[in-house]
Amino acid sequence: MEIPYTVTARKDTGLFNSKVGIWLFLASEVMLFGGLFSGYVFLRIYADYPWPERALPIVPGLINTFVLIGSSVTVVFAWASLKMRQWRRFQVFMGITIVCAGLFMVLKGIEYKAKWEHQAVRMDDFAIIEGHAHYGTVMANGEVDHFHTKKEAKKAGGGKPFKTNKILFRPATIDFSVVRAHEPWITEMLEQAGKRKSKLVTSGDVFLYGHIEDYAGTEGEPLSGKDRSKRETDIVKEFGKAEESLARKFGENSLYIPAGTPLDYELIKKARKAYIAGRAHNAETRTAILKENWKRVKEKLPEQEYWKQAPEAKIDAATQLNEQFDGQGNCVSGSKVVSLISTLSFRMDPPQPLVIKRSWIKRPVKAKDGKAELRDDTTLSAGEEQDQGTGLLASPVALSVDAIDFRWMAQKAEEAGKEPMEVIEQSWIFSKDNKHQGDYKQIWKVHKKRIGELEQELVEKYGKDPEGKPKRVPTETDRYRVTWQDLVHYARAKQDSLMPGDSGFDDLRPKFWDGFAGPNHKDEEIHKLHAFPELEVPHHKVSMQSMFTPKWNTYYAIYFTLTGLHGLHVIGGAIVLGYFLFFSKGLYRRNPEWLANRVEVGGLFWHFVDLVWIFLFPILYLM
Amino acid sequence: MADTPEEIQKAQKKYILIGLILFVFTVVTVAVATVPWLDFGEHGFDSKDAIIGLIIASFKATLVGAIFMHLNHEKKTIYGVLVLGVLMGIALLGLIWWSFEDPIEYGDSVEGDGFFNPEETVNQD
Repeated sequence: MEIPYTVTARKDTGLFNSKVGIWLFLASEVMLFGGLFSGYVFLRIYADYPWPERALPIVPGLINTFVLIGSSVTVVFAWASLKMRQWRRFQVFMGITIVCAGLFMVLKGIEYKAKWEHQAVRMDDFAIIEGHAHYGTVMANGEVDHFHTKKEAKKAGGGKPFKTNKILFRPATIDFSVVRAHEPWITEMLEQAGKRKSKLVTSGDVFLYGHIEDYAGTEGEPLSGKDRSKRETDIVKEFGKAEESLARKFGENSLYIPAGTPLDYELIKKARKAYIAGRAHNAETRTAILKENWKRVKEKLPEQEYWKQAPEAKIDAATQLNEQFDGQGNCVSGSKVVSLISTLSFRMDPPQPLVIKRSWIKRPVKAKDGKAELRDDTTLSAGEEQDQGTGLLASPVALSVDAIDFRWMAQKAEEAGKEPMEVIEQSWIFSKDNKHQGDYKQIWKVHKKRIGELEQELVEKYGKDPEGKPKRVPTETDRYRVTWQDLVHYARAKQDSLMPGDSGFDDLRPKFWDGFAGPNHKDEEIHKLHAFPELEVPHHKVSMQSMFTPKWNTYYAIYFTLTGLHGLHVIGGAIVLGYFLFFSKGLYRRNPEWLANRVEVGGLFWHFVDLVWIFLFPILYLM
Repeated sequence: MADTPEEIQKAQKKYILIGLILFVFTVVTVAVATVPWLDFGEHGFDSKDAIIGLIIASFKATLVGAIFMHLNHEKKTIYGVLVLGVLMGIALLGLIWWSFEDPIEYGDSVEGDGFFNPEETVNQD
């Protein structure tokens, strides 16, 4: 069947089908992006932290704007070429459009990568430190060393290098929850222990009771001790010899794990099965006991209301476990409720440092607790023996700093009615506890002087109001945020022995187009000037750390949502336009007008993608 | 709409011109945000800079819509479809205004978070 109005327009609307279709789609897109833009404004006005305005490097965004505008022009030329029946010209313009789409995504990729590699730390005093995390490695003797690059860390010959935003814990024992233990984390711990020539083995014999119908069988068919012994023997055979087990009564799904069994996930899985079976068995048993109790109580107190009978019928957990056995080992009285084991304990022999991601941790690890609890309910314990120490090893976030932001600290100080500058200067980064305090004091001294100069400059330029207040003053960002441009600026000035106010000082400032995707830690000049000073933020001072990902703050959350969705539109649009370019020669020969209509519709979508970016660029990069 | 080959031939010059205007206004947007003597309002970024930035962006978006997407001479049906979408979009942005009517008050909890003054953690009210 031929579909009407794909080439010619309908008389009533004057439009061909797909054009109405694309506009309906674009109208829904307006609402989609409208909602997200609304979300952006919402997050920004209600942010309870200083919004990172103008935080992104402008140049990639600017080039991408040019690229998209350029591609909007070329896509309209591609359509015009088809209308004029110039196939070759169409190919050229459509080709350029698709190259532009590719370029846009490459630049976006560079920008995203820079974000994912950029470390941020919020300290417990609300100072924000940004920079490039160092790499650490655990040496053969169990000591931890830090290096600037992964390469250097590898060269040092220790274990696998890790970013110094992790936690190092030396456990004597690790307890795994048999129900919640997370396989990849177990694998990772085993791998690390193996590399450090350490083993994870069970510390004592463990008996996990699953089902115990063989304690006594059923009332009608009691199981003999002989039958049960056979089952026990089968289970023990699987895990080795266990004299202790002979005195106990195993049932189906039960498990015996002798001391010294090495950890592996399969073992945890078996223990989980026993635990679940035991729990189900207990539920059944308790229900049966409860039923029995009710029967008894109803006979004893037939006239009473049920709420008066209830206290008599309830199960007392302590007495129900008191089983009595006859000479053959059959359970003759008491309950058949089994005690459940929900954690398996492993000894680390010898204790060695484990590198743990902060995202694994359930709650902050404190040295005095001697414990690290993971989100899968695994607990790493240092043990009580003195020689095992505290468990938590020095786990500073070590980084080369490319920005120091006191805006949040200043905000908090003002809320508490304190002078922001005083609070800032008493912060940890300038204290004796920071072994690099000298570098930071020097930077802050120059920064304060520069802001003083700026203050004066603004008064000279714009004057004061009738009340004597300066008409223009430095912003909070000027005052309380030391950017990477500031750090490079001050380092250059230091080299030339210049201070703010000296002639030539301002000329040393990096321009907005320097540092394509942000601070470049590999830049030779920056490296030589030692412009990005080192810092080791002690573990207990870190209140949050993250890469520049949606986790870090709501700005990056909405940035990735908006640009990610827009990027998907770019990819989708490029695929459709690419299809017209590479697979439509046949249609062009048969019905060029139809192809022109298709390209017009694809082009409309492409213009919309450009239109969204026209708003995204200023709100994310310039405001 | 330019539909005959002659009309399209003519319209191409317009497309190039619009492309150039868009380039120029992109540079203007960046200049307004980065060049000190083009800084409107207070020193540094403020609401005036935001308004100017958004006015320029809206102007650029209008050009893209009107010329590249041919909305300057489109059929009634399309305006009808689009007006509905745009009104909905504006209503979504309107949620921000309505949020100011939110009866929940935040003041005390921020004031009394007691980070620097632990004794202030207790709400004085």
